[in-house]
Amino acid sequence: MRETVDPEFAAYVDAREARWLRSAYLVYGEPERAEEQLLHAFTRLALRWGRVDDPDAFVQRLLYQPALSRWSRPKPFEDDDEQPVKAVLTGLSPVQRTVLVLLHFEELTEFEVAEVLGLSHTAVHGHAQTALSAFRSGLGHGDWRNAEDRR
Amino acid sequence: MRREDVRPLLEQAARPLPEPDLADAAWSAGLAIRRRRRRSTTIAGVVVLLVIAIAALVAGLSRNSAEVVPPDTVPSLPAGYIRPAGQISGMDFWVAPPSGSERFLDRLATPLGDSLRLPETAADLQSEQLQEIAAVLLSETNGIYRPLLLGANARWVHATIELDPIATGPPLGSGAVSPDGRLVAFPQPRGVVVIDATTAVTRRYSLPVEDLRSVSWLPDSARVLVSGPTAAFRVLTGAGGFGEESVTQLRWTADPYAATAPYRLDGGPGRVELRRYSLNGGWTLESTLGLPASSWVGQTIAAGDTAARLFVADRLPQVQTTASRPQLIAAVSTAQTTPSRLLVLGETPAATPPPTPGPAAPDAVRTPGCCFVLGWYDPHTSLFQVAGWVLAWDLETGQVRRVTELEVNTVALGPGIAG
Repeated sequence: MRETVDPEFAAYVDAREARWLRSAYLVYGEPERAEEQLLHAFTRLALRWGRVDDPDAFVQRLLYQPALSRWSRPKPFEDDDEQPVKAVLTGLSPVQRTVLVLLHFEELTEFEVAEVLGLSHTAVHGHAQTALSAFRSGLGHGDWRNAEDRR
Repeated sequence: MRREDVRPLLEQAARPLPEPDLADAAWSAGLAIRRRRRRSTTIAGVVVLLVIAIAALVAGLSRNSAEVVPPDTVPSLPAGYIRPAGQISGMDFWVAPPSGSERFLDRLATPLGDSLRLPETAADLQSEQLQEIAAVLLSETNGIYRPLLLGANARWVHATIELDPIATGPPLGSGAVSPDGRLVAFPQPRGVVVIDATTAVTRRYSLPVEDLRSVSWLPDSARVLVSGPTAAFRVLTGAGGFGEESVTQLRWTADPYAATAPYRLDGGPGRVELRRYSLNGGWTLESTLGLPASSWVGQTIAAGDTAARLFVADRLPQVQTTASRPQLIAAVSTAQTTPSRLLVLGETPAATPPPTPGPAAPDAVRTPGCCFVLGWYDPHTSLFQVAGWVLAWDLETGQVRRVTELEVNTVALGPGIAG
């Protein structure tokens, strides 16, 4: 491992850090925690730089799986309740919030989300439906599965 | 709300975050982790090695402590061990049996027999060669000497060569027989004669000095040192090294009997020097001893790591003498594990008290020159001549035994004496 930062590593991080910091912020609800998790993931990647087959999946696993841990549950948006979106995200469970962010903000497929979070595709699909319904309801759009609302 | 509407809402919620710059921080943190891991690995390795070493030490100590048991018996001494009479200059010394008691000593059986005299019949060396020489005598006729060789098989042979007398008389010294027992050398005026007992070949080597008195073989039995009061030479009699001269002149010493190999004992009172001879460096100092030697008699004869020579001391508080000076055989060992020892040849005290007050005259006195070292029976048994006798001194037990009674004036002994 070289003493100065590898240019390829720096380019890789520069290209992704802003997007992943935002998605981590949406998952954890705390900017400090989000940056801490992202730095941790990039640090682990730096240790194995050049030897990881899929760096994106490697970082995403390290970035999002801790949000599902019952020992370090995020406390989202405690000091910021002005935005209704944040209030709705706060009402979701950690796994629902994470699945929602990965599907609709990161724009991963359900299979990719299942691989990143270490869950089954069925579980991811179920969490995605529930989270989307709750998101809609929380923002006053009703449940999309309700036939009257569709009209 | 459609699915496509979710992302803009989420982007809006995440917008206030600043632009991060994590590349340098992540790389630095990775480096720090790598260093910490290496340090931990090193420390863990050292700790594991330390634990293994301590465990091995503890196991070794516990095993040693289990094995170290104080002996319940005193160390056994060799059979017939005689306690030393005391110490001279830090060396144990024994006192030889008094003069006149030699006949009553235990006998050491050798091919020499009970008494050594000129044989009545001897085969010709040309017709009967010897494999190993036990002893060499000289027969004299009208001032001409002829060598008689005794083999380890107790067979006498005579060599058909006539030897001239040297300045001291018969041309035979203690160091005449080579260490391998095949060769015998005789100093001659202006030369040295070497007889090979296994082939009956006689060679004469010329030297540029008239007065030559002693010979001493190097351990390789291929070179012999020939010395006199004015010069010393090394004569090559066998196969030598590349470019080695047949005759090499050595550093001169006043004592014609001091030039010996592989060891040489000489020096004055309080500073006796043991030197080792080497082909390239000559005699180099091996050790010094504080022996009270005022003069030396005979040659230094060595066996293994021990060199023996007889010296005369001026006066010793440990040895009572009234009419003579004590003579001592110094058997000096160069091995750390073997101690050096001394044998005192003193006077025979008077058997009856004197009629007048004062010290009694001894019954017998060993005069300087009567005694000298002749050779070795084995690496711990020195053979020496006292007036009319060859005796053996066992260095391990301190015992002195008789070997043979001499009915000849001069004798040289070889390794074949052990049979």
